[in-house]
Amino acid sequence: MKRKKNIWEGLIIGIFIFLVIVPILTILVWVGTERWAWPSLIPQKFSMRAVNGILRNRQQLVRLCMSSLFISASVAFLSVVIGTMTARALECYDFFGKRLFSFMSMLPFLVPGTVFAMGVQITFIKCGLSGTVQGVIIVHLICSLPYAVTLMQDGTRAMGVKLEEQARVLGAGALQAFFKVTLPNLFPVMLSAFSMAFVVSFSQYFLTLMIGGGNVKTFAIVMVPYLGSGERNFASIYSVIFLVIMLLVFGILEWIVGCFTKAQEVEYY
Amino acid sequence: MKKRIAALLLSTVMAFSLTACGNSAKTEKADNKETKQTTETVEDMSFDEMVDAAKGTTVTFYGWGGDDSLNDWLDNYYAPRLKEKYDITLERVPMDIDAILSQLSGEISADKKDGDIDMIWINGENFKTCKENNMLYGPFAEELPNFQSYIDTDDEETNADFCFPIEGYEAPYGKAQLVMIADTAVTPDLPTNTDEFMEFCKANKGKVTYPELPDFTGSAFVRNVIYDICGYEQFMDMEADKETVKAAIEPALEYLRELNPYLWNEGKTFPKDSTALTNMYSDGEVVMDISYGAYSTATNIENGTYTETSQSFQFDKGTIGNTNYIAIAANSGNVAGAQVAINEMLDPEVQADRFAEIRTIPVVDYNKLNDTQKEAFDKVEIGKGVIPQDELLSKRLPEMPSALVPIIEEIWAEEVVGK
Repeated sequence: MKRKKNIWEGLIIGIFIFLVIVPILTILVWVGTERWAWPSLIPQKFSMRAVNGILRNRQQLVRLCMSSLFISASVAFLSVVIGTMTARALECYDFFGKRLFSFMSMLPFLVPGTVFAMGVQITFIKCGLSGTVQGVIIVHLICSLPYAVTLMQDGTRAMGVKLEEQARVLGAGALQAFFKVTLPNLFPVMLSAFSMAFVVSFSQYFLTLMIGGGNVKTFAIVMVPYLGSGERNFASIYSVIFLVIMLLVFGILEWIVGCFTKAQEVEYY
Repeated sequence: MKKRIAALLLSTVMAFSLTACGNSAKTEKADNKETKQTTETVEDMSFDEMVDAAKGTTVTFYGWGGDDSLNDWLDNYYAPRLKEKYDITLERVPMDIDAILSQLSGEISADKKDGDIDMIWINGENFKTCKENNMLYGPFAEELPNFQSYIDTDDEETNADFCFPIEGYEAPYGKAQLVMIADTAVTPDLPTNTDEFMEFCKANKGKVTYPELPDFTGSAFVRNVIYDICGYEQFMDMEADKETVKAAIEPALEYLRELNPYLWNEGKTFPKDSTALTNMYSDGEVVMDISYGAYSTATNIENGTYTETSQSFQFDKGTIGNTNYIAIAANSGNVAGAQVAINEMLDPEVQADRFAEIRTIPVVDYNKLNDTQKEAFDKVEIGKGVIPQDELLSKRLPEMPSALVPIIEEIWAEEVVGK
C-alpha cells in the first residue's frame, strides 16, 4: 500500500534532517578552526592543533577506545542476557511481588545517577570493587539495564508464548523450544537492547569517574573535560571520534540484523 | 513450589555474595595494615629512601583536565622525565576539583587506606576544606630538597594560600595572576583603573562583561574591582562576617551596579565561566577577556585563538595573583612516589621547561638559581601581547582570606546581578 507523500511530512522530515546535519557539519568545521568570529561566514583562522594533539596521543587513544569498547560491549551483553531473563520472568510468569519487581527494574530511570553515585561508591569501596573494571561494568549495568529490560519486555510481550507452546506441543524440550523458537525470534529486539545499553554505557561519565576512581579510563572520561573547557576544536574532534565509534557500532549491529532477517524471514509483531 | 525454591536459592546466593563482600573488605583491611605501616614509615624516610621506595611505582595526579597545552606538557615532558629519572609512572587523571573532593571524601569515609588519589592540583577554599577535614597528607613540603633549595620561604604565597596557613600540606605548582585582554585594533585605549574602566564600558556599550561568580576568574575580577576602589589592606585580617564585609565593599557594589547598564545583556546575565568569556571574546561578541593565566595571551595569539593585536593589561594599582599547589591525599597509596614527583616539579629545569612551553609563571625563586638555571629562564621568549614579568609581579596583589570569597560571591549575587 503506497501512500501519497504529504508535502508537510516531507517538510517536517526536511527540518529534522537539517537540525541534525547542520550541527554535525559545524562540529566538523570546528575541528580545524581556531577562531571564527561573527559575522564572517568562513573561519578566520584554521589550525590543525586539535588534529595534531590527537595524532600525538594516538596510541593512548587507541588503547582508550579499546578499553571503552570492551567495557561497553560487556555491559551491553550482560544487559541483554539479564534483560531477556527479566522480561521473560515479568511477562510469562506470575509470582509474588511481580509488580514491585517490575517497578524496581525501572528505578534507575527515576533516580538520577548523581544521587545514588555516592552510596554506590562507598558500598563498592567496601566490597573492593572500586577502581576495578568489574566495578565499572556493574555500575554501568545499573544504568543500562532499565533500557534493556524495557525493550526486551516489549519484544517478549509482542511475541507471546504461543509459538513456544506450539513447539512444546510438537515435542520440543523446554530448552530446545526456547533456543530454537523464542530466541531467534527475539534476536532483533536483543540487538536493539544491545545497542541501547551500549550507548548508555559508552557515554557514562560521572559514575565511571566515581567508581573507576581514575584507574579505569573510558573515552567519556577523557572527552568530557574538553567539552567544558572552551577549547572548541578539541571538544569537536573528540565529539567526532565519539560519533564515528557510535556509527560504526550501530552499522555493524544493523548489518548483523540485516543478515539475520534475510536468512530467516520471520513475522514479527 | 519450584518458584519458592528458586527464590530461596536466589536469596541464599545474595546472602553469600554479601558475606563475600564482607570478607573481601576484611582481607583488604588486613592488607591495609601493611600499607599503613609503610605510610607511617614514609614520614621517617630520607628523600633518598623515598626515591628507592618509589622506584617502579605508579603515582596518580588528579586535576582539572581542560587545558590541552598543560595536559600535553604533563604527558609528554613531565611524565617521561619521572619515568626516566625515578622509574615512576605518572597517571594523569583529568577531573574537576569537585569530583576529586567527592571521590576523596567517599574513599576516606569508607575508610579506604590504599587510596587511588595521590597528587591533587588544588588551592584556596578547596585546600582549606580538605586540610580542616584531615583529607590531606602532611606536612611534607618543607622536607623536599628542591623546596629547600629553590623556593622563597619569605614569599607570602609559600606560607599561606588565600591567607590560610599551608604548614607544609601543599607545595607550589604554578603562579597565576589576573590580567584583562583587549584587542588594540578595536579598542586602542586600555583602562588603567576602575574609573577608566567605566568609561571603557560606556564606550563599548553591551560589549564588555565578566564571568558569573562563583567562577574562579569572575570572582577574582570582582575582588580586583573591590581592591581598586576600597584598597586591599583592610581585607587581610577581616572577620568573615557578612555584615562587616558588605559594609566594607559597599562603594564597590555601588560601582558594579552603576556598571551594569553598560555591560553585555545589561548585566542581567553573565557568561557562565571564564572559558565562555574567552570564546565570546574570540568570537568578537565582547571586546575584553579576563584570564588568570597571565601569559596565556601569548599562547592564545600563537594558536590563533586571539587576534594578533590582542594585548593584556592590568590596573595601575595591581591585579590579584595567587599560587596553585599540589597536595597529597591523606589516604594516598603512594606517599613516597608523590613526594618524589612533587619534588621534581619544583626542579628549576622542569619549571623552566614549563615556563618555555606553556608560559606558567614559575614558582622557583629566581635569586636562588645558579647562572645556567637563570639562563634557562632568561632565554624564554614570552611572546606577544603580554605584560613584562617584572612589571606584572610588581603590581601583584595578595588574595584575601578564602573565607571572605564565598561571602563576596553571595553578596554579589544578591546586590549586583540585574540591579
